[in-house]
Amino acid sequence: MSVEIESRECVVRGDGGVVEQLVVNVGPSHPSTHGVCRVIVHLDGEVVTKAEPVIGYLHRGIEKMAENRTYLQVVPLTDRLDYVGSMYANWAYCRALERLAGIRVPERAEYLRVIVCEMQRIASHMMSLGSAAADSGAATMFIYAFDQRERIIELFEELCGARLTYNYVRPGGVSFDVPEGWVETALAFCRTHRAALTEMDRLYFGNVIARDRLKGVGVLSAADAVAWGASGPVARGSGVNFDLRKHDPYSVYPRFDFDVPTGSNGDCYDRARVRLFECYESCRILEQAIAQMEPGPFRTEGLPRLLAPRPGDAYDHIESARGSLGVYLVADGTPRPYRMKVRSPAFCNLALLPMLAEGHMLSDLVVILGSLDPVFGEVDR
Amino acid sequence: MSALAWGAVWGLAAGLVIALAALIGVWGERKVAGRIQMRIGPQELGPFGLLQTLSDTVKLVLKEDITPRAADVRVFRAAPLIVFAPIAMSFAVVPYAAGFVPLNTSVGLLFFMAVPAISVIGVLLAGWSSRNTYATIGGLRAAAQMISYELSRTLSILPFVLLAGSMRPLEVMDAWRWWWIPLTAIGFVVYLISSIAEVNRGPFDLPEAESELVAGYFADYSGIRWAIFMMAEYGGMVVAALFAAAFFFGGYLGLPGVLGPIALILKATAIVVLMIWVKWTFPRMRPDQLMKTAWKVLTPMALVQLVIVGAVIPWL
Amino acid sequence: MAVKRNGNGGEARATGVEPRHHEVGAPERTPHVVPITIDVSNDFAGGVGGFFERWRSLLTGLGITGRRALGPATTVRYPREKVTLSPRWRGALRLRGVLGRDDIPIVSGPPTGYNALIEGLYRDDRLPPCVGNCPANVDARGQGYFLGEGKAPEAYELVRERNILPGVLGRICHHPCETACRRNYYDEPVAIRPLHRYAYEEYAKVAKERLAPFPVTREERIAVIGSGPSGLAAAFDLLQLGYRVSCYEKETKPGGALYSGVPSYRLPREVLHDEIDNLVALGLELKLGVEVGTDVPIDYLLGEYDAVLIAVGLQESRILPVPGHDAEGVTGALPFLRDANWKGDAGVKGKRVLVIGGGNVAVDVARCALRTGASEVRLACLEGEEEMPCHPWEIEEALDEGVIAMCSLGPEEVLVDEAGSVRGMRMRECISVFDEAGRFAPQFGENYTEIDVDMVVFSVGQAPVLADVVAGSDISLTERGLLPVDGTLFTTAQEGVFASGEVVTGPGSAIASIATGHEAAISIHRYLRGEDVAADRVARPVPVYAKYQPATLEGVEDQRRRIGMPMARPEDRAKDFRQVELGYTHLEALDEAARCLRCQSEVCVGCTFCARTCPDYAIEVERIDDPGARTVTHYELDLTKCCFCGLCAEQCPTDALCHTGQYELSFFHRDLAIFDRHEMLRPAEGTRATGRDAAHADAPSGGEGR
Repeated sequence: MSVEIESRECVVRGDGGVVEQLVVNVGPSHPSTHGVCRVIVHLDGEVVTKAEPVIGYLHRGIEKMAENRTYLQVVPLTDRLDYVGSMYANWAYCRALERLAGIRVPERAEYLRVIVCEMQRIASHMMSLGSAAADSGAATMFIYAFDQRERIIELFEELCGARLTYNYVRPGGVSFDVPEGWVETALAFCRTHRAALTEMDRLYFGNVIARDRLKGVGVLSAADAVAWGASGPVARGSGVNFDLRKHDPYSVYPRFDFDVPTGSNGDCYDRARVRLFECYESCRILEQAIAQMEPGPFRTEGLPRLLAPRPGDAYDHIESARGSLGVYLVADGTPRPYRMKVRSPAFCNLALLPMLAEGHMLSDLVVILGSLDPVFGEVDR
Repeated sequence: MSALAWGAVWGLAAGLVIALAALIGVWGERKVAGRIQMRIGPQELGPFGLLQTLSDTVKLVLKEDITPRAADVRVFRAAPLIVFAPIAMSFAVVPYAAGFVPLNTSVGLLFFMAVPAISVIGVLLAGWSSRNTYATIGGLRAAAQMISYELSRTLSILPFVLLAGSMRPLEVMDAWRWWWIPLTAIGFVVYLISSIAEVNRGPFDLPEAESELVAGYFADYSGIRWAIFMMAEYGGMVVAALFAAAFFFGGYLGLPGVLGPIALILKATAIVVLMIWVKWTFPRMRPDQLMKTAWKVLTPMALVQLVIVGAVIPWL
Repeated sequence: MAVKRNGNGGEARATGVEPRHHEVGAPERTPHVVPITIDVSNDFAGGVGGFFERWRSLLTGLGITGRRALGPATTVRYPREKVTLSPRWRGALRLRGVLGRDDIPIVSGPPTGYNALIEGLYRDDRLPPCVGNCPANVDARGQGYFLGEGKAPEAYELVRERNILPGVLGRICHHPCETACRRNYYDEPVAIRPLHRYAYEEYAKVAKERLAPFPVTREERIAVIGSGPSGLAAAFDLLQLGYRVSCYEKETKPGGALYSGVPSYRLPREVLHDEIDNLVALGLELKLGVEVGTDVPIDYLLGEYDAVLIAVGLQESRILPVPGHDAEGVTGALPFLRDANWKGDAGVKGKRVLVIGGGNVAVDVARCALRTGASEVRLACLEGEEEMPCHPWEIEEALDEGVIAMCSLGPEEVLVDEAGSVRGMRMRECISVFDEAGRFAPQFGENYTEIDVDMVVFSVGQAPVLADVVAGSDISLTERGLLPVDGTLFTTAQEGVFASGEVVTGPGSAIASIATGHEAAISIHRYLRGEDVAADRVARPVPVYAKYQPATLEGVEDQRRRIGMPMARPEDRAKDFRQVELGYTHLEALDEAARCLRCQSEVCVGCTFCARTCPDYAIEVERIDDPGARTVTHYELDLTKCCFCGLCAEQCPTDALCHTGQYELSFFHRDLAIFDRHEMLRPAEGTRATGRDAAHADAPSGGEGR
């Protein structure tokens, strides 16, 4: 797709004056678009008058590909939806499939899923915070956040042999049990992570420049957040108290004691800081889950390799790092799904960009885009 | 004729010094940034990776020199030199040792304030001639930024003119007393921040804001031309640090005789490290905040400094 | 800037969502209100304090980065320090072995070392599930390998090592091996039991040449009482060890429960005799018609022989003490079967028969009753249809033949007519058989059913009769008439006397009895050698294997399906004692043997399951299945397509396909990224898939994959 953009255009203002506007084509290959997003920005001086996201640069047709894959073969595809949080798509898909095929999951598997997904939440939020900080020029905060993420990635590598596309959550359980010593490493990580979070909070969110950059930028009202279908930290940053782990408790989440952080201003600062505080809460969940987890089977034994659920459909959703991630599956009795549809929180959140960016400066545009934390594997699918 | 020859010699010397400063500066920046980010930095080429920058330079020199088709070719090609030359010239008025300053002029301080400011024209030209939206915005930002910070920077230097009663660098150095350091502390802060802004370094690197404008005014430059922009940046940083070390911290005065320049270099290095440290710690400002900081914070602070010094002078 | 909570954290939590312990995966009631407990916004205070805080925040930031700068670096000094990868690292794939180049390992060893072998394999995760799930650890994988190569006699001898009567067990075994067969994941299990039978049939053709008595190398003599499966198994092992063994059997035909308990439509008598004759040819001394206790006192045996093994099995059927149980026409399963098997007539011609019980013996009784001419056969059991203890295929065949099954009924009273013979049975509805803990505790309802029958056969359990056997010796029995035996060592209180088989374990399968026989043989051997009988003996490791859920057969090609056992037509077979299962032909057996996946052998057999599971279709496999020339001709992995998801290596039943620790996958040419069979077999060392840094021996190799 190639669209020639006139880099200057004249707009007649409301008062009759004519303004020459600069049209800047941000992306699809640009340092701050978090993937391959393209935003056509209309600038009046430095002020954005219109920002128009163009998506589809990472469209791989995963939903269509799923129709030609067996149910097990779809799991690696879901890895590539939200490649910053592969565990979530794995889990959402497996939950939908388990609901469809009536597969019961052993308790240990549920705990393992919670553990990896909370770790994934930390890793994903670290990625988000780090790159949002890098968007505003704080390269070191980026590295500190990635250092924390790296610890988790290493744990995941120990666990399932991959660093990004885990393919870990499987229909009926998970692919591996924890290796020896893993749990201790994870607990040790929780301890150091809290200190690192506090340090990051002081380094970045306490910094006067960052505050000035984030506060009051891209304000999303609670009403708009609900109306636009925002979810996850984006909605919670606006004070919308909505977290599927609390509001539609799935798996073993009701057994854990944790809080839902919410913001009150709905600006980039609150959105980013909700993520930071969620990491504290994830640490709490992690410690509780590890304490509660008991030995047992980690997957349903004897599941046939070729699943063929009876005709029907199922939808299930989980709270991913980006919001409510849902998978809808339709089965026609064959070993391949008839249809798979992903309800992607990143897509819904990204839709807010034009509204939020209007009237802000170009520098704020990237900060707002970063605070929405889109992952284009999931937006484009 | 002899003036021209001397000029050529000095120009060459300044170019070499700047190139060396840039080489070491880039290496230092990588090392310091690496340490701050829990990394090691360059380590493979030469002792402590010192030759890494050299090899990068060789690479840059050998790279293809790309000129965009839409660019205004002559301006595009001239812009890096217009940026670099004034920075190189400003090295001439730094008092390196007792009684030695390359260009011993009676308007030394003024020269130092005025000449580097010319490079903003080069930046503007570079941004404009690239015919690239990012570069254009970067160039415009740079112009606004450098002009704004020029004022506070100049104001922060003025106390020395008041205290020494001269604008000749060597005379200022002769009049220098240790208690000038606490007296001009506020001025130093203003000078440091303004200088960082002047050389487009973080957290004031808006013209080249990597995350917004990709590389700003030099987005379309490559190879040696790009390297000249880099050298200008590091040269500017080094000369600003040398100047601050000389006037705010007594330059060569810490160590006796021949060791004087070493004192100067140590002090300047400390200031350069501080600048790097600041860059790798803070986020970048927004253009409007940048302006606000210049006009509402730094300029008043510099004026306050001036008033303090002015109030002290009668008691001397 | 620590976490700021609204109000008291503890209280806020108390009003939060109550932790509800629910069934995992069960739908949940959705709460509508969840209190907000953390507000993340916080501001600098305004005014002068704010001004100072703003400046201080800059110094704080510098302090944090400065402190970090002084801390340790976390960078890897690549390439001097290589990255260490986890053992589960999903690097480029390789094959450990391939059919045609590497042989399938055979699980075979001397009787004394066999358990250690199995344990070792189990520890290394190299035990094939069929071998692991078999009580006697018969190497079904090796059998499949030999049969596939066209070496039936070798297969027979391999099986016979642990299962002394492959031909017999090939007809009657309840085949736990097939239950554990990993092929269940994909389509249907390999027909291991019918292949035993096929191996026997092939072996029978060459038995004369291959049979030679085991050399007698030891002086001790051993007496085995009972010629059932466990006695014969022990005798076989002891013969192999060089002892002289005599087997006492009170009946005139050997075989024990195999002869008197198993109907001949399942086990033709010729087969049983032929296999026992083979054992005799190997050196076994068989003493038929000698009843220990009556004909020969056990003390005589103790004096004559160095060790005695009691393997007499169970002879007595239990009869429930319901009212009227002593009426004429009420009998137990064992007498009934003995009559049917020995005489071919159980006195049920034209009668209506009711069998009480739901086990395999009950089904045998019911089917025998049909064959001996009963006009109507009903089978009543406590359990519901789903939980009947007999094997599902057994009851299915019985139902095909016309047996009427009546589930969830408990016997209440035998109705007796004036002449004192049975006229019917009153049954009571059974609600549940087991309590919550899984113990047998039937609960009855209030509904009663009366069934008009002429004969009632109780098949509700068996008990040993040992009083005669041990009469006149020092061996004492418990109050319930049982012999006190160590369940692991099979020793009794009396030195030199051992026991095995159902006498020890209670009613069970033939193969389980054989397993106890092998164990008892080891004990006897150690006892005679004067070694510590109990040293490093453990209850044999029987891993728990998954109960497979039925796999979908859609899209499975015919040649991949299990070859169905040809069966006699139900209407024909129910009339006499001809065999029901007709056996495989030569070609069918070869095909079926080729279906075996050779689990855990680390030799790729070209099963193509990796290619089928690959989401990117990056693998191509082809093989030739001709006996004697079986080979994987083509194995190609296209690394340009591979997504390193790891599904193929997980699927690989043989564990031949595995990930390496290689992560440097750069090639000069795209074609080099396509790994052929040869490349897949190259030992993976170092981090580069091209094997380049394996040449640099001085470089420490970091990525050590499995």
